[in-house]
Amino acid sequence: MSDLSRLQMRDAFIERLFERAKEDRDILFIANDFGAPSLDRFRAELPGQYINAGIAEQNIISVAAGLAMAGKKVFVYSIASFITLRCLEQIKLDLCCHQLPVTILGVGACYAYPEDGPTHHASEDISIMRSLVGLSLYSPADAQTAQELVDVALEQNAPSYIRLDKVAGITLGPGQDGLRVFGSGQDFCLLATGVMVHRALEVAQRLRDAGHGVTVVDLYRLKPLNSAALLALLPAFKRLVTLEEHTIHGGLGSVIAEFVVDHRLSLPLQRLAIADDHLYGYGSRSRLHQLAGLDCDSIETAIRDWGEQ
Amino acid sequence: MSDALVQIDQLKAVARRIRREIAEISIVTGGHIASSYSCLEILLALYQAGVMRVRPHQPDWPQRDRFILSKGHAETALYVVLADLGFFPCEWLSAYYRAGDHRLGGHPDRSIPGVEMTTGALGHGLGVAAGLALAARMDGQPQRHYVLMGDAECAEGSIWEAGMFAAQHQLGNLIGIVDRNRIGASDFTDNFIGLGSLVDKWRAFGWETEVCDGHDFAALIRRLRYAAQRETTTPFMLIAETVKGKGVSFMENDPMWHVKRLADADEIRQAREELADGGDDE
Repeated sequence: MSDLSRLQMRDAFIERLFERAKEDRDILFIANDFGAPSLDRFRAELPGQYINAGIAEQNIISVAAGLAMAGKKVFVYSIASFITLRCLEQIKLDLCCHQLPVTILGVGACYAYPEDGPTHHASEDISIMRSLVGLSLYSPADAQTAQELVDVALEQNAPSYIRLDKVAGITLGPGQDGLRVFGSGQDFCLLATGVMVHRALEVAQRLRDAGHGVTVVDLYRLKPLNSAALLALLPAFKRLVTLEEHTIHGGLGSVIAEFVVDHRLSLPLQRLAIADDHLYGYGSRSRLHQLAGLDCDSIETAIRDWGEQ
Repeated sequence: MSDALVQIDQLKAVARRIRREIAEISIVTGGHIASSYSCLEILLALYQAGVMRVRPHQPDWPQRDRFILSKGHAETALYVVLADLGFFPCEWLSAYYRAGDHRLGGHPDRSIPGVEMTTGALGHGLGVAAGLALAARMDGQPQRHYVLMGDAECAEGSIWEAGMFAAQHQLGNLIGIVDRNRIGASDFTDNFIGLGSLVDKWRAFGWETEVCDGHDFAALIRRLRYAAQRETTTPFMLIAETVKGKGVSFMENDPMWHVKRLADADEIRQAREELADGGDDE
C-alpha cells in the first residue's frame, strides 16, 4: 500500500479496490474514457474486470444496472459533473428503482478542475443525488476516508455516490460512522464537507486564536445522516455554520437546515456556499474560492460579522 | 396440415382472444391499447412459440432468458401474455390493473412476476440488457436477452449508445426487436423524427439486422428462432414492421389511439365485432 498522504482520493480508492477485485471476480470497474495513474495497474492485471465504455454516461449507468442485476459489484468512474447530471434518469430508474449495488465515483468535486470552467464544476451534485431514493451519498475530505469507502461500498447492497476531490497530503484520522469531530469549543460549530473541511479547520484555528470556542465537524456521509451523533452533538452550540463547495441550493447547508427544523432544534445557522451563479473563473482552486467567497479570509469575515451581530 | 401450421393457427387464435381481453380491460381501466396491439404477435412469438426459455411458475429461474419491454407503454399486452402463461393469476388483470393495490401498474415494474425491470421511461432497456448479456458471457451462462423497443423510442440517444456498446463487446446473446409501427405518442414518426432505414442504421452500428412483418407469426418465429440459435458474437436486431392498433380498423394507423380509451359505445360495439371469433384474421 502506498503512503496515503501522497495520494489523491481516487488513487487511494482505486488502490484498495484493486486489492479487493483481485480476490473477487464479480467486482467490475467501468470508466468513460477517463483514466488515472492508479488505474493503469488495474487495467493491466485485471483486464476482464475493467471496461472503458466510452463517453456514453447514460449507457454506462444502464449497463452497470444490468451487470448488477446479474450479481456483479459495479464501480462506475467518471468526472463528477458528467456522471451525475447527464445520466440522472438512468441513476434514478435503472439503479435506484431496483436498488442495485452500483457505486458511482465522481472525480472532481465542484471546483477541483479549477482551470476548466463551469462545464467541469460539479456544483449541484450533492443536491441532486441526495434527492434520489435509497442512494447513499459520501463526500470524503481525505484519501484515507476515500479508501475506507471501498469496503463500505462493497458491504452495501444498494447504490451509492462518492464525491471524490483531488486534495492530497492530509490525513484526518479515524471517522465515526459518517462524521468526525475536531475540537470542543461551543461558540461555533463549523460543519463542512469535502475540501471545505480543510478550510474549516484553518478558519477554526483563526477564530480560536481570537478567543472563540470552535468545533469542526467533517460530514463525509451526507445520506443517510448519522442523526444520532448529530442530535447528541449540535444542541451544545450557540451557532452553526455550514461550509461547502457546492451551490447553496440543496447541499450541506440545506441538509443541516432540514435537520435542525426536523428535530425542532432552536439553533442559529449560517450557510456559506456558492451563490446562485455560474463561475466563469479560471486558475487555481484558491483563486476560485476567492471569487466564490469560500477562501479562509472571506469565511472568517462572514462568521465574525455574524458573531458580532 | 403440418405441426408448424397448426401451431400458427393456434397462435392466431390466442392473439385474437388476447386482443379481445385487452379491449375489455381497456374499456374498464384504460391502458395502452394501440401500442399493445402493435406488438402482440411479437410477444406471443417470443413467449408461446418456444423461442424464449422461461418457467412461469419459477419466474426467477436463474437460467431463464431475459425479456425487457423497453417500450413500457405496451404493458397491457405484456400483462395478458404473462397471465396467460401463469406467471400470475388472470384475476389480477381485472382486479389489480391500474386499480386496487396496483399490483399491475400503468407501466411494468420489477415486482411483477416475469418482469425483469421497471420500464416506462424510454431508452433504458437496451443498455440494461447489454449489461445483463455481458454478465452472462463473463459467467459462461447460456441465456439470451431480448429487448422490445418502439420505433419512436429509437430517437433516444441512449439506444444508440447501447447499440455501439453491444457491438463493441460482441454480445451475440443480445437480441433487439423494434416495433416499427411508424407512430409515436402524438404523430407519425416521419412527421417529427423520420427514422429513415432502421435496417441500414442498425447494420451500420454493427448488428446483424433483419426485417419482417411483425404480425406474421411464421416470419417472426423463423427469425427469432434463428437469432436465438446463432453461435456468434454479433448482436441481432429484428425490425418488425407493424400496424399500431392492429386488429381494430378504426384504431389502426391513427396516432390518437396511443392514449385514447375505448369508451364510446359505438366504438366498443365495433371493436367487439371485429375481434370476435370468425372475423378476418389477416
